[in-house]
Amino acid sequence: MSEKPPVLEDTIVAQATPPGRGGIGVVRLSGNKVQDICQAITGSLPVPRFAAISDFRDGDRSVIDRGLVIYFPKPASFTGEHVLELHGHGGPVVMRLLLDRCVRLGARIAAPGEFTQRAFLNDKIDLSQAEAIADLIDSASKAAAKSAVRSMQGEFSNQIEKLTEKVTLLRMYVEAAIDFPEEEIDFLGDKKVQGMLKSILSEFDEVTEKATQGALLREGVSLVLAGRPNAGKSSLMNSLTGKEVSIVTDIAGTTRDIVDNYIHLDGLPLRLIDTAGLRSGSDVIEVEGVKRAHGEIRNADHVILIVDCFAYRGELAAAAEALRGEVPGEMPVTVVVNKIDLNPDWQRELDGVPEGWVPVSAKTGEGIGCLREHLKQALGFIAVEEGTFIARTRHLDALARARISVETGGRHLVEAGAGELLAEELKLCQQALGEITGIVTSDDLLGRIFSSFCIGK
Amino acid sequence: MAMMVSATNFDVIVVGGGHAGTEAALASARSGSKTLLVTQNIETLGQMSCNPAIGGIGKSHLVKEIDALGGVMALAADHSGIHFRVLNARKGPAVRATRAQADRQLYRAYIRHALENQQNLKLFQQSVDDLIIGDGRVTGVVTDTGLRFTAPAVVLTVGTFLGGIIHVGMDKQPGGRAGDPPSNRLADRLRELPFSVDRLKTGTPPRIDGNTVDFSELEEQPGDEQRPVMSYMASRDDHPRQVPCFITHTNEETHELIHSGLDRSPLYTGEIAGVGPRYCPSIEDKIVRFADKSSHQIFIEPEGLNTTELYPNGISTSLPFDVQQAFVRTIKGFENTHITRPGYAIEYDFFEPRDLKNSLETRHLPGLFFAGQINGTTGYEEAGAQGLIAGINAARLAKGEEAWSPRRNEAYMGVLVDDLITMGTREPYRMFTSRAEYRLILRQDNADRRLTEQGRELGLIDEQRWRYFCEKEEAIQRQAGVLSKTYVHPGDAAVETLLGQALNRDHSLLGLLKRPGVTVNELMNAAKLDSLREEVAEQIEIDCKYEGYIVRQQEEIDRVMAQQEMAIPDSIEYGTISGLSNEVCQKLESVRPATIGQAGRVAGVTHAAISLLLVYLKKQYLMESQGKQGTSRPLKLGR
Ligand SMILES: Cc1cc2nc3c(=O)[nH]c(=O)nc-3n(C[C@H](O)[C@H](O)[C@H](O)COP(=O)(O)OP(=O)(O)OC[C@H]3O[C@@H](n4cnc5c(N)ncnc54)[C@H](O)[C@@H]3O)c2cc1C
Ligand SMILES: Nc1nc2c(ncn2[C@@H]2O[C@H](COP(=O)(O)OP(=O)(O)OP(=O)(O)O)[C@@H](O)[C@H]2O)c(=O)[nH]1
Ligand SMILES: [Mg+2]
Repeated sequence: MSEKPPVLEDTIVAQATPPGRGGIGVVRLSGNKVQDICQAITGSLPVPRFAAISDFRDGDRSVIDRGLVIYFPKPASFTGEHVLELHGHGGPVVMRLLLDRCVRLGARIAAPGEFTQRAFLNDKIDLSQAEAIADLIDSASKAAAKSAVRSMQGEFSNQIEKLTEKVTLLRMYVEAAIDFPEEEIDFLGDKKVQGMLKSILSEFDEVTEKATQGALLREGVSLVLAGRPNAGKSSLMNSLTGKEVSIVTDIAGTTRDIVDNYIHLDGLPLRLIDTAGLRSGSDVIEVEGVKRAHGEIRNADHVILIVDCFAYRGELAAAAEALRGEVPGEMPVTVVVNKIDLNPDWQRELDGVPEGWVPVSAKTGEGIGCLREHLKQALGFIAVEEGTFIARTRHLDALARARISVETGGRHLVEAGAGELLAEELKLCQQALGEITGIVTSDDLLGRIFSSFCIGK
Repeated sequence: MAMMVSATNFDVIVVGGGHAGTEAALASARSGSKTLLVTQNIETLGQMSCNPAIGGIGKSHLVKEIDALGGVMALAADHSGIHFRVLNARKGPAVRATRAQADRQLYRAYIRHALENQQNLKLFQQSVDDLIIGDGRVTGVVTDTGLRFTAPAVVLTVGTFLGGIIHVGMDKQPGGRAGDPPSNRLADRLRELPFSVDRLKTGTPPRIDGNTVDFSELEEQPGDEQRPVMSYMASRDDHPRQVPCFITHTNEETHELIHSGLDRSPLYTGEIAGVGPRYCPSIEDKIVRFADKSSHQIFIEPEGLNTTELYPNGISTSLPFDVQQAFVRTIKGFENTHITRPGYAIEYDFFEPRDLKNSLETRHLPGLFFAGQINGTTGYEEAGAQGLIAGINAARLAKGEEAWSPRRNEAYMGVLVDDLITMGTREPYRMFTSRAEYRLILRQDNADRRLTEQGRELGLIDEQRWRYFCEKEEAIQRQAGVLSKTYVHPGDAAVETLLGQALNRDHSLLGLLKRPGVTVNELMNAAKLDSLREEVAEQIEIDCKYEGYIVRQQEEIDRVMAQQEMAIPDSIEYGTISGLSNEVCQKLESVRPATIGQAGRVAGVTHAAISLLLVYLKKQYLMESQGKQGTSRPLKLGR
């Protein structure tokens, strides 16, 4: 007889609406600390299942936002645990503050699909949905992984890596001193360790400051426009954004670099990315452009493959097939058949192709409405589950915890000479950083010790 | 067959009388099972194959846990220890450790005495050549003379003996360790069974005659004045006469000589295929890998009180004998030294530990348990710990009881077993405190408080130890209560002098104890209360100083425990779980974790994979329980 899997009852929090600017933003919590957190943020616990209006307050009593609070006591809630929803005004800064506040009150950012998983484990969703939940967890965690990669792009990633390396190095000294006291490598008394602690702390501050400049981090589901030269990618970009953001000419190979722009589809924020037409050119600039296009494709949430139904008339399917081959297999795509204004036979051509291909004319605007509808369907789910914003929040939360550990550890060393407590805090620090960069196991650390010091009586 | 053995049916048979085998046999017998210990040679019961020392960082933690569960290793060390030291004395209680140099003969004698006088235990000298297998289970063993012994549970603890090959320079000989024959027939037999076998290597230094050493040249290293004890049941009075160790160093001339012999080193000519431990390299390895170090430390340890032989710790080697002799004589104090036994390396078979359950029963052959060096570990303490767990579980299996194994947050033994069965090992596995994520809880000073109660339930703890434990625990609770209820007031001269500052308000003594550098008994004296017994004071002090961390770790443990302990059924087919990637499937398949917690520790298993696993298990549960009401959970041993 199988056992019934128990549910962790700690409190999880996440943003429950598509992240983005404007509109309503909902923060949802589930778990055993919900009542306390509600008290702390709104000052009271509202009548169950009734929307109440309240200020949302930060730790220093300042008002973060004002909005609706709804409290669902267990077991009559979505997850079967106490659930709280805070409906705020949704701007990224406000959402961040609200999430931060919840984390400081003891919640942790939910893992992808975790709300639904809890609902299932708490008998709120029946057996017939088990497969769907598995799919959700699977796709949500892939989306989360992708968001995490995006949060980590550029300078942030380099700095985190440098920081992680420094912490690992320091741990190596501290752990070596503890596990090998007879090896003449006792660094704990050294000024060296204290110096390292200091420099790590200031580096934490630097990274955190840069990463908190949230404005730099653009939000939204990323949607890449890809296709052969002259297929009409830039034209479609302009048509979807309603602006002349991308240069359109009849010269094949017009777009060289990445061009991006933000739009909203009924509140769903999208980052549209126009790319160079995919072909094997010889021009150095173009080759670089194609390389960048492939990079964007890899990191995308969704790719629109644009096929020119005039240039490829009669061989539409083959053209789309070839294009599909240049995109990673697991990447969700939408095939857009462009220039239907030029090909009077386009409907006949579409007869044999798979369902879901969207015919448009970027020039006349025909079919663009359908395309928008289609994209909303296809992308809505990704946006709800996990965005770069949540990923960055998770990262900042981890950074903050990591920093506190270094500080506390340093204090133990200075005040009480307690090397083992420094070691403990550094371990916690590294665990927190590991949530961003991947785990450093005790075996990894021992490996570093053995290759750096000659250990062994 | 001329030979007669009074009985041939047992509950548990233990093969091998090393450190794993003796603890296994004692634990099994103590818990009431009729036990047979078969070993090659009764004279070598409890033999230390390598250095004559018990304990050390991470290792004394294991020894004290063995002791807390009624094992023999700590007591043997106390009765044979001729030099005791506390390591990391100034680094905080969690990482403090005890190390004892032992007199080999006294150690062996103590172990043998304990074995011979253990109820329910019979000793038998012979080599085991084969296992009896019936119905897909092990049902007994066959010795080299064809004697058959049967039991529903067999514990194999044959150390470095399986296919053992001893290397000295380019010369190689079969051997289980110097002076003992290898177990080749058993090794061949085991290779026919569905176990996954590989080779490891370890080495030992040459021994030298103390009469030929110039001690006046050497730095003396005395034992601690405040001599520590290993066992919770021992006192300093149990220790024999104490002697010092000495320290010397290699030099550039030594290194040159070693370099010149590398072309005849089995390590560097590829003769040795087995992987050796990185933390215990041979001297030739140290010199090659850390070429910029011009000198290496050597600890000179006495082999015993009644012998002049010395153990030079730090120059383990498998170089040819002539090179050994030459380089040893370049070392300060060793100029005229005579080598009594050459150093050597040994290669041996070990079994993939990921094929074991946490009871140390093999997954491939029910009833058969593996413990000690054959699971890829090294060290007496690591072997003893596994022996104890295997012995307990062999006895439990024979009685039809559920398996028992301590968790990672309860004991280093738990860390050891879980690491082995979850991660496996590529080099001989040794314990380090950095392997334990709950290091502040798993201390050598509180092993009894972590384990003795469970040991009592397991039937391993005798009356005397139990009474002693209960009294100590009761005293700790009572005195901690006194400290928390006793308040001192501003103006209390004695207390303010002790603290070096004035009190600004009333404080409980327990509150003041949190301050760095304040000790219980100083406080008690200042408050005019009676001093506490050493071991009671120690516990109160440590509990108080680590309180914040212990509470946090305990919360963390409590938070995840229910889910971590969730059993994964043996029958699970990972391939059928939707969403799991092939890669994760393979990893889970090769370890076949017993719990969700263990699954999460398998390298490469993601958070999402664990979520999927939980959803799958819930689905199984729902499918099975549809129609059925109120399932009863199997009772777990009280924790
Ligand atoms: C050369 C050498 C160097 C070492 N160096 C180190 C070191 O530097 N550091 C360290 O921590 N550890 C070292 N060790 C390892 C340490 O000795 C072992 O880890 C420890 O002894 C293992 O205990 P065990 O009980 O598993 O096996 P062992 O102590 O090897 O005991 C095995 C027992 O099984 C018996 N036996 C074998 N085959 C049979 C059979 N077929 N039938 C019946 N009985 C059998 C043997 O007689 C022996 O009593 C070294 C060992 C050797 C040999
Ligand atoms: N008739 C018609 N012409 C179109 C349509 N879409 C694009 N074009 C034309 O096709 C040519 C190429 O369009 P672009 O949008 O620059 O194509 P592109 O895919 O961005 O091309 P590169 O950047 O060069 O790879 C231009 O002359 C557009 O005016 C369409 O739907 N109908
Ligand atoms: Mg273009």
